[in-house]
Amino acid sequence: MKNPIVLVMGRLLALLIVAAMLISACGETATPPTASPESGTDILPSPPAADQPAANLTEGCVQDYDPAVDYFPEKVSIDYAAGWTIDYFNNYKVVTVVNPWRDAETTFEYVLVQCGTPAPEGFVDAQVIEVPINTIATMSTTHLPHLTALDLTDALVAIDNFAFVNTPEIIDLIEAGKLAEIGSGAAVNVERVIDLEPDVVMTYGVGNPQNDAHPILLEAGLKVVLNSEYMEPSPLGRAEWLKFTATLFNVEAAAQTVFADMVAQYDELVALAQRAEQRPTVFANTPFQGTWFMPGGRSYPARLLADAGATYLWADDDTMGSQQLSFEVVFDRAVNADFWVNTGTWTSRADALAEDERFAEFAAFQSGRMYNNNARVNEHGGNDYWESGVTNPHLVLADLIAIFHPDLLPEHELYFYQQLP
Amino acid sequence: METTRGTSITAATGATEQAWPRLGLRVVVLAGLLAGLITVFLLSLMLGSVRIPLAEVLRILLGGQPERATWATIVLNFRLPRALTATLAGAALAVSGLQMQTLFRNPLADPFVLGISSGASLGVALVVLSVGIAASAPLLAVAGLLSNISLVLAACLGSAAVLLLVLLLARHVQSSVSLLILGIMIGYLTGAIVSLLLYFSIVERIQAYLMWTFGSFGGVTWSQMHVLAPTILIGLGLAFTLSKSLNALLLGEAYAHSMGLPVRVARFWIIVSASMLAGAVTAFCGPIAFLGIAVPHFCRNLFATSDHRVLMPAVMVMGAICAISADLIAQMPGRDTVLPLNAVMALIGAPVVLWIILRRARLYR
Repeated sequence: MKNPIVLVMGRLLALLIVAAMLISACGETATPPTASPESGTDILPSPPAADQPAANLTEGCVQDYDPAVDYFPEKVSIDYAAGWTIDYFNNYKVVTVVNPWRDAETTFEYVLVQCGTPAPEGFVDAQVIEVPINTIATMSTTHLPHLTALDLTDALVAIDNFAFVNTPEIIDLIEAGKLAEIGSGAAVNVERVIDLEPDVVMTYGVGNPQNDAHPILLEAGLKVVLNSEYMEPSPLGRAEWLKFTATLFNVEAAAQTVFADMVAQYDELVALAQRAEQRPTVFANTPFQGTWFMPGGRSYPARLLADAGATYLWADDDTMGSQQLSFEVVFDRAVNADFWVNTGTWTSRADALAEDERFAEFAAFQSGRMYNNNARVNEHGGNDYWESGVTNPHLVLADLIAIFHPDLLPEHELYFYQQLP
Repeated sequence: METTRGTSITAATGATEQAWPRLGLRVVVLAGLLAGLITVFLLSLMLGSVRIPLAEVLRILLGGQPERATWATIVLNFRLPRALTATLAGAALAVSGLQMQTLFRNPLADPFVLGISSGASLGVALVVLSVGIAASAPLLAVAGLLSNISLVLAACLGSAAVLLLVLLLARHVQSSVSLLILGIMIGYLTGAIVSLLLYFSIVERIQAYLMWTFGSFGGVTWSQMHVLAPTILIGLGLAFTLSKSLNALLLGEAYAHSMGLPVRVARFWIIVSASMLAGAVTAFCGPIAFLGIAVPHFCRNLFATSDHRVLMPAVMVMGAICAISADLIAQMPGRDTVLPLNAVMALIGAPVVLWIILRRARLYR
């Protein structure tokens, strides 16, 4: 039950925020940021100054600012992600989140200024953040593997919720009492965050001010960056948001190496899966009360299934999210499918049967070829598939190839997946 | 109006010897409704997301072998239990709503005024959302015990618990108005616990809970039908035997009492039957809104009577028709997508309730 007053206030707030966003959007087009002409392009490199650094500063500030110096010799490239862009200038970089949530009509711009150098003029609506940052608070478990991969866990001061964490290094920090718990979404404990004074709070948005944390945090005067990796339809695109985190810490070089290594492994696995002679048919998810949430043909799971050498039965569909199908439609198409994956919270086929005895009619049920991505779920229900799996799609892909083509990866032991007994 | 005269005569002659209102056209209307019910029932077997030719559907229903084996499963294991569930649920909610509106003499009462759906919601929330909470809130250690129980069982237990509470209190509470307020308070209480559970839960679980609140007739399988159908049929039978008591209660509790109706006993059984009906439906289909309010009003207007001996069968058939029709629309025949049932139901129900309120306002001006 919702208190009507709260509801009305929430709506008012929503209206105000939408209005604010519209105004800010107008502002963006009216005053384009002025970029200094000599900077940022690889086509016309400026002559290296005498004290041109060989690497990005990952600690401390610039002592003697020289406008001719490129303070970010190490840059990231964005090859797979579609949801953000970056432009490098001599002493600052402009990161834009272009697709913060579904059907978003607003973008978020962050001006990351090298500490010890002046902030550029003309970015009226962007948040200006001094980099490298020293402390960060994160509001989703998906952000945590970035920090471990880039060896930045020392900078973490707070996370949204202790219970759902799987990353061992973070669990150690929690147990050592080094992290604060600040709550998730709009229920974020603002006072606690203000008290902690993190240089940046990394969160995500769904476009609804009643759920999102960033409006309240921004209002509190904190630096907030939105990580919208969940909007990326491709597994490598999602994983590439690692570089987004890296730009805040000036550790572009490390991110480039880590990601390139992952891409190499992922591509190698894709090539391996292409060698399979058969592409078994597969369907995914489970229905709830007669409605089946089937991943769209252009969704993240669909892409993984295709890359793993399977024939996803809804691959012809062109939605990015999931479709609400009736049970009978799925039954009609998938009754003879070879595999059934991502089966919700089930840990055994008996769980499936207890929910609805009609599941027993699927061929995949009868043959026992049902695999769920919940092998690594902690005691509170936090699933590592949605944590380290997002940053390590090659591990997820290896699992799927081993499931569909055991002969291609005979030595592989399932990591995120388990066969339902 | 003829109807009011009918009941006032009834009142004068005593609760046990109620005169029937002149039935006249009403029998024809009722027969028409029955024909309508059979039509929409058959339609719901024929129309669905998967296109199955009419001849094939008939062949399957008559026990023949269809062109594709999966079609038989779709018609017999998906559409038939779904249509039956909609029929039973529609009838149950409409009857339950009628009983509550009369008992509380409140045109906006619905099957859930006594907190039945709140109890079921709490049961479901405890099961669906309990993962991850057991450790952080020792208060809800119960949740750990519950997590192995299915949704249906949880909803049953939840609504039964609330029902028992209401019945217990009903014995000590004099007026129905107090009972009404009690029900609303129970609703707030369970709602508070549900929001706490939601607050501490993970996204997937919250989504599962929300899905349950959307309502659906598609989740009932044949094995569940063995529980749902008998419960509803017993509840409906009980409701029928209470028609005369309800007629007496129309005149107010004091008047009914003076006529020799044992008000408390009657009230007890009305609550039992209405709660059985609403509780069973909520457990299996989720909290289905609006039907319980809208259908009794619709039938009172259509049959121009408030005699429960006429209204009882009328709302049953009308409720079933509305439920099946709403489900048909939600299924969007020919399309793969389905819509949430409660949204469709409210889209139909809200204008009906509005229309009734406006009509009444005009009548009493």
